[in-house]
Amino acid sequence: MDGTSEPIMQFDMYSVKRIWEIISKRQGFSVVLLFIIISTFLSLMTDNFLTLGNLSNLARNFSWIAIIAFGQSMVIIIGGIDMSVGATMALAGLITASCMDVEINFPVMIAVLLGLLTGGFVGWINGLMIARAKLPSYIVTLGTMSVVRGIAFSLTGGWPVRDLPESFRFMGQHEIQLGSLSLPVPFLLMLITAFIVGLLLDQMVLGKHIHTIKHGERALLLAGVDVNKATVLVYTLCGLLAAFGGLLMTARVGVAAPTAATGYELDSIAAAVVGGTSLYGGTGSIMGVLVGAAVLQTLRNGLVLLGFPAYGHTVAIGAIILAVILLNYWRRK
Amino acid sequence: MTHILKAINISKTFGTLPVIQNVSMHISSGEVVGFAGQSGAGKSALMMLLTGFLVPDEGKLYFDDQILRWPFNGRTLGIEVIHQHPDLAEDLDVTSNVFLGNELGWPLGNIWFKFPNRRGMAKETVRILSQLGTNFDDPHEIVANLSSEQRQLIAIARVMVKPPRMIIIDNPTLALSYPYQQKLLSLIQTWQQQGIAILISSDNPDHLLAVTDRIIVLRNGQCTNEFRTDDTNREEVVAAMVGTIDHQQLTPILWALDSYYRAREQAEKLSLGQTILEKGIVTGELLDRQFINQLTNQIDALDQVNTALQNAQRRLLGELEQERKGLAREIHDQIIQDLLGVNFRVEEIEAFENLAPAVKNELASLQTRIRQLVDDLRDICGNLRPPTIDSLGVGPALGSFTRDWSKRSRIPVKLNIDPDLGRLPEAIELSIFRIVQEGLNNVQKHSNASLSKVDLLRTMPRTLMLSVSDNGRGITDDFDMTTLSTSGNYGLVGISERVALLGGRLKIQNLTDGGLLLQVEIPHPRLEIPTS
Repeated sequence: MDGTSEPIMQFDMYSVKRIWEIISKRQGFSVVLLFIIISTFLSLMTDNFLTLGNLSNLARNFSWIAIIAFGQSMVIIIGGIDMSVGATMALAGLITASCMDVEINFPVMIAVLLGLLTGGFVGWINGLMIARAKLPSYIVTLGTMSVVRGIAFSLTGGWPVRDLPESFRFMGQHEIQLGSLSLPVPFLLMLITAFIVGLLLDQMVLGKHIHTIKHGERALLLAGVDVNKATVLVYTLCGLLAAFGGLLMTARVGVAAPTAATGYELDSIAAAVVGGTSLYGGTGSIMGVLVGAAVLQTLRNGLVLLGFPAYGHTVAIGAIILAVILLNYWRRK
Repeated sequence: MTHILKAINISKTFGTLPVIQNVSMHISSGEVVGFAGQSGAGKSALMMLLTGFLVPDEGKLYFDDQILRWPFNGRTLGIEVIHQHPDLAEDLDVTSNVFLGNELGWPLGNIWFKFPNRRGMAKETVRILSQLGTNFDDPHEIVANLSSEQRQLIAIARVMVKPPRMIIIDNPTLALSYPYQQKLLSLIQTWQQQGIAILISSDNPDHLLAVTDRIIVLRNGQCTNEFRTDDTNREEVVAAMVGTIDHQQLTPILWALDSYYRAREQAEKLSLGQTILEKGIVTGELLDRQFINQLTNQIDALDQVNTALQNAQRRLLGELEQERKGLAREIHDQIIQDLLGVNFRVEEIEAFENLAPAVKNELASLQTRIRQLVDDLRDICGNLRPPTIDSLGVGPALGSFTRDWSKRSRIPVKLNIDPDLGRLPEAIELSIFRIVQEGLNNVQKHSNASLSKVDLLRTMPRTLMLSVSDNGRGITDDFDMTTLSTSGNYGLVGISERVALLGGRLKIQNLTDGGLLLQVEIPHPRLEIPTS
């Protein structure tokens, strides 16, 4: 009997060790774990968390954070950071809204396209300055953030644009019925975006090169890969995704304000980092970022439901970023 | 003939330090051009300029007669580079590194927007690496875990993914062990046959002499000499690398290049120590300088003695061979002819009719003794100067020698001579013959062997490998080459001296399945080695 019980003991020890290894090595698992713990905690502690309305709202509201975090995580993976995403969101929303105004009255599709192009253009300028002039990304994007926010203010003289057409608001406010499940449109759009960006970043050769830029730039250069082009492409994509997120947000709120999305750059960084994107560059996946954004939004939602004051949220987000960075640091050591 | 790459008056300065000054060069498809130079001569900088990563201050570069603008991407032109220190992506695995920038995948065309064919690339990687004579346990091993030699092999494998038009190789053998160095050299020849232009720089003149068509010598960033490899030799190249005007003085150093570098290193260490001392002790300065001067003088003197000895030895060997030749001719032309005359006379006497039977028998036995004497003398002549070597070369001479030796010693010899051997300079042919002679004599005397083997093969266009092996009892473990002359084994001393004079390498070792291997590597046998 002893002969059979011993191996089982060993197997158990081994599997416990193995599970711990997986948890400590891969942030993806720990993030999912964290998500489950927070959700369970909130469903037990509050009456409202597990209602369909709350969950649908949660899914809707984290969509654009997730979308800009996709772009942000690509930038972080190549060793940069983009501080201009919040301002870009606001400007893209404002431009699209202004184009759909009674005075200009462009068709919705054209207005949306112009908004997206604006974001892409801002990202492209960022990318050019960072890749060609080798300037630090933090400084460059801080500069563009200020410029873009300023343009947004001057565009309408600081006033928000209201009365957006119904067909535009559709993509932020409506839901699509899939059987018995009704999914918010922004959530669906976010999933589609995640799929496309996931293909680019996690499956295609481009993604492999993007992951290599931070720690193997010389190897890429020697292999004849145009690293500058890749860098510009990443920043352009980040700007484009920021604009898309901004449009979804504007459509949801129904108002385009120059002050919108202030501080969202930090949210996007937090989502990326919590989702397993290393601030040292080189690692990160779209799936992880998606879960990271969900965790953050759930937490925010939970803080509201638990009755914490609004300024506490900022403290929580900042603390989480710091905690994850410290965790990253220890893991590297 | 058009040049695939042509550089005109390229100059580059780092800060105030000129690293490349007005260097021009050209290379055609299927040509191998070598850059020789000491470290710091500007080889690597020039390579970086030609690969497009480093931007020169001045100069023009043409590829296929199209002017190139720096910085350019060599890969798009079909230029592949193997660097001195391979720059690999540390976090990626072997396969990804081999295929970096050349990924296989679907759809074809754009390098970025395609899904990688991971299995296909892994399979191809295993194939290429086995072609290189190596195999990694796992083509998905992360590169950061590999040795520097394995990384260099990956860098070489990278070149073999897609046939390029030109390969630039910058001192690649630093990280490679001997067998892989040889492998790379033979690969270069394969590439050359495929019509690929190859630029190679190396600290080791032997490697350049082995594979290149032309050698360009760089010194202090300037192009000082250009040699056709077939028309030059190691001495000339090294002299140009070191840059001494007085060739007479340099000869010894050239024969022992390694010790020369060691001496230089020592001198540099000494002068460093001197500068340190200078700062501390003012009075000590004079002493140190005297000491260093004395040491430098001693090194010079030793070098000169070394030359003189080498020359004397070469002269001695030459005279010895000359004397033997003369002696052999004299025996053959004089004594043997005389003996044959005597024999003829005896035959005439034998023909007389009124001879007693006893006398007739006596005459017959006299005749057989004379014939035996003639045969013995012919053998002696053959040993003094193999008769076939002058007319037919070392191959046939070895053939007849080993046949005779086999008959005498009753030990079968397996002779294997490169069919493309051709004729070699007289000094080399004679040396090879003498080495085989001495080696087989040792086999007969000491080994108790029942079988022996002689191989004479070209391992590379400019290297000859001679080996004599047997299945006897081998050598004892305490055998030491350095004490040969004191232990009284003059046969082996003779061999090692001959090998040294040819600039070759001698190796004596026990074979794993019993027996002894004597192996000699002779470089550049196409070139005439002066015998006077």
